[in-house]
Amino acid sequence: MLDIAFAKPALPESGALVLPLAEEDLGGGLVAEWDKLLGGHVARGLAAAEFKGRKGQTATLFAPGGGLSRLVLVGLGKREALNATAVEAAGGTAVTALGKEAMASIDARAITGWAGAPADLALGAVLRAWRFDRYRTTEKPEDKPRLSAIKVLCEDPASAKAEWASRRAVAEGVFLTRELVSEPANVLNPPEFADRLRKLEKLGVEVEVFGQKDLEKLGFGSMLCVSQGSAQPPRMVVMRWNGTDTRKRDSKPVAFIGKGVTFDTGGISIKPAGGMEDMKWDMAGAGTVAGLMAALAGRKAKVDAVGIVGLVENMPSGTATRPGDVVTSYSGQTIEVINTDAEGRLVLADVLAYCKKRFDPAFMVNLATLTGAIIVALGHEHAGLFSNDDGLARRIEEAGKSVGELAWRMPLGEAYDRQIRSDIADMKNVGGRPGGSITAAQFLQRFVDGCPWAHLDIAGVAWGSKDQPTTPKGATAWGVRLLDRLVAEHHEGQAAAQPEPAAEEEAAVTGEGSESPAVLSEGTEASEPLLPTPDLPARPGTEPVPPRPARRPATRRPRR
Amino acid sequence: MLKLRLTGHPRNEHPLALPVRPGGFLPAAYAPAAAAAGFDPAKGEALRLDGALEGRTVWLIGVDSSHAQGLEAAGALAAASMAEAKQGVLDARGLTPPEIGALAMGAGMRAHRLPHYGAEPPAALRQLELLVDDPAAATPEIERVRAVLRGVGFARDLAAEPGNRLAPTKFADRLRRLEKYGIEVEVHGRHWLERHGYGGLLAVGQGSTYPPRLVVLRWPGHGEGHAAPVAFIGKGITFDTGGISIKHGPGMEAMKADMAGAAACAGAILALALRDSPAPALAVLAIAENATAADSYRPGDVLRMASGRTVEVVDTDAEGRLVLADALHHARGLKPRAMIDLATLTGSVVTALGHHRAGLFGNDPALRDAAMAAGDAVGEPLWPMPIGERHRTDLDSEIADLRHCLPAGGGGGGWAGKFLPDACHAAAFLREFASPEGQESIPWVHLDIAGMDLREEDGEAGPYPLPPGPSGFGVRLLDRLVSDRFEA
Repeated sequence: MLDIAFAKPALPESGALVLPLAEEDLGGGLVAEWDKLLGGHVARGLAAAEFKGRKGQTATLFAPGGGLSRLVLVGLGKREALNATAVEAAGGTAVTALGKEAMASIDARAITGWAGAPADLALGAVLRAWRFDRYRTTEKPEDKPRLSAIKVLCEDPASAKAEWASRRAVAEGVFLTRELVSEPANVLNPPEFADRLRKLEKLGVEVEVFGQKDLEKLGFGSMLCVSQGSAQPPRMVVMRWNGTDTRKRDSKPVAFIGKGVTFDTGGISIKPAGGMEDMKWDMAGAGTVAGLMAALAGRKAKVDAVGIVGLVENMPSGTATRPGDVVTSYSGQTIEVINTDAEGRLVLADVLAYCKKRFDPAFMVNLATLTGAIIVALGHEHAGLFSNDDGLARRIEEAGKSVGELAWRMPLGEAYDRQIRSDIADMKNVGGRPGGSITAAQFLQRFVDGCPWAHLDIAGVAWGSKDQPTTPKGATAWGVRLLDRLVAEHHEGQAAAQPEPAAEEEAAVTGEGSESPAVLSEGTEASEPLLPTPDLPARPGTEPVPPRPARRPATRRPRR
Repeated sequence: MLKLRLTGHPRNEHPLALPVRPGGFLPAAYAPAAAAAGFDPAKGEALRLDGALEGRTVWLIGVDSSHAQGLEAAGALAAASMAEAKQGVLDARGLTPPEIGALAMGAGMRAHRLPHYGAEPPAALRQLELLVDDPAAATPEIERVRAVLRGVGFARDLAAEPGNRLAPTKFADRLRRLEKYGIEVEVHGRHWLERHGYGGLLAVGQGSTYPPRLVVLRWPGHGEGHAAPVAFIGKGITFDTGGISIKHGPGMEAMKADMAGAAACAGAILALALRDSPAPALAVLAIAENATAADSYRPGDVLRMASGRTVEVVDTDAEGRLVLADALHHARGLKPRAMIDLATLTGSVVTALGHHRAGLFGNDPALRDAAMAAGDAVGEPLWPMPIGERHRTDLDSEIADLRHCLPAGGGGGGWAGKFLPDACHAAAFLREFASPEGQESIPWVHLDIAGMDLREEDGEAGPYPLPPGPSGFGVRLLDRLVSDRFEA
């Protein structure tokens, strides 16, 4: 991650300067101030470049004086339309305009109206500057991005820094997700995925890993029928972040569930070859849940959250599930597998039912790259949102709008549910082309047992085919920020509305997609015994699951 | 068309249908037989009882009251049950006029006989006596039901007509007959379209032996002053081969109904006229045949539309949006207070919403909500769909102002690029003509009814079964929307 610092405005000694300007700022005091410091270069440059401050417009002035290597002007558009998303976009746009600069200062003073603006600018820059670099071995150093540090100039650096702490944690979560999603399937198979999630323990997340035998014992017939064709064993990982006060520990947690098909060939119902490489990101739902847990723990969210991911690989082989097979799910309901390429819902069915039974959460939100039909329905700007709870759906839509991750509500209904009736079992796993993403949601709904629930079909938004202002082409980590915002706005009580100024020592995290996914800070001293886990059979130690650490990492309690 | 008659005393020995609500009263004469047969009203099934009531056959009709259209479904079930007898009695005593209306509506929808060119058309109920406590009180409601059923029936008949019997010219002739109901009919032919530059409609129709038509139907209403009319805009492709981008063979016969949007608009105008609606309304119908011929328009062609915009043709099978674009432009020129277009536009909307809801797009949240509510009220449900920024930028063309769709598989690389949000693209395209930037904004909604216009054998769609064929989807919704929103 870029080094981010906040400072009072002053002419930088070297490097680049970025000047975001709203349309109304041209000819204003801010421009005049820099113009004076840079000997009239700014005014001349503005005119020559026909810079009007339009949203997304940039202009670069090289060697503008004062020892600077370049001055980048970034348009913010109309001042009245300025919001956090637009400011983040400006931060991201600035990064691309900085080219091969190593250091830059950004003057955030044109953005006023909310305290977090300088931090929003930094967040946009950081999110855009991320790059998955692990497998480029022959790229020349001079061709690599060089930007390593950004100094945000603002009137109140101390409060900007405090605002930055929580955003930084969320950015770390986003990066964890992007990295997991970017990893090829030969590297990131279910056991490797689970191992990486174990590292979240350093952030204070409790991590439990379930292997093949555990899942068999639990009766995960639906999920296991997906993995049975693969040489890779399945995993289910339960991550728990307990961030609330001890006295409130009897309150219901919020739960997030992710589809983690580390590679989806389609199984016996094999996919066409074209574009199949993209199926490495069929675990984006699970990757997003992992990133979300890292974000919540990283910023010490005052919430009890559970994240569960079902990790499998869907392969065609002699042991693979056949179309027509009937399996018994964890919930006891039987499923006729018509199409082995509709495997995500088979995984989620067991995980959702398990989550409801074990944790009885306040709500469950699942994320999954579930259907191509959702792209036919909505395209790539909106994820599909299905829910049995209008309030939850509305809160998700609103949180999405505020972070620029849009969700569009889609219908559910009995008429759609009839499409998945089976002649031989309780249901079949596909309902035909018409309403394909809806029937998938109906399928999932049969496993939530009345729990308030929302399903986000992220097949169209998890992977970007071109660069966006704050998201480079590739893994988007769509959903991490939305769900973090959902928690922050609705599930953290009053005190949590302002993120607590995080201590310096927290979250020293990944360096630009290198080495390990998340080198995370240590937990603090142990404080209390772990809660018993209701309804959970004793975990057999037979499967090659790494043994639990003798001393469980403690949950970190927020300061009061 | 089912004949409906209100009566206090049934005059003959025709079969009688008795709607039974769950937990409702069951006459002593029927109760033992119903119990023995395991009759459960909540299941919405019919039970035939012979000999329970002198010489009459009695049908117990279960009313699934958990369903908003439960009574209508019961009426339909009664009509289906008594189809062989051709005449029947429906015992609607103890019901309110709106409830009686719902039963009659359902019976009328189910009993409607679509055009049949064989020797033995399927049996259907021809005449239904509604046994009520007070015929006079129910009369206005039944009048209204009759008007709407006529409108729906008109639309269904048109949509059922095969492409060789309903070429664009014939379609216009059929619409001319609406003049006798006080509807003004204006038909614009090829020369008029050429003179006025309706390049979209002309291009789509140019491959056909039968030239395209733009038809305007006007119901003047009789409200005070000169209220602006509400405009319905309909896609009327009398047969859609796909043109040069020809469709696959299987299922192509259903393309005779690719004018269901236009038919629904015409049916709605007829219903408004028959029930003498105070609200002025008009329909602009773009009628053409999309034929594969030596003279057909081609992929890559650039068209100048009626509005002056240039459009690059990518796939000639995306013809509906081209004819609608010109029709929407024409409608704007008539200064309506609102525009509602209906079109069997995309397969994409079927993948999105299936056969249970039509796609709803637009530029005006209030009109959108009103359309949603009207659809829910009459059992023709819609679902709002987005027009996103990217849906519009996807249509950027390298040679013209915009292209009208994306090529198959053209959604970018990789797995996701195979899937196109074509319904959203189509709506984004239409918006350029319905609501052009920089011009006066008129509230507009677009209903993509591709999944809803036809009922299939054994296909589960709609609140209750109808005979296979056109459903008339949209007529009742438009009628309801006008009465809810534009008759005040």
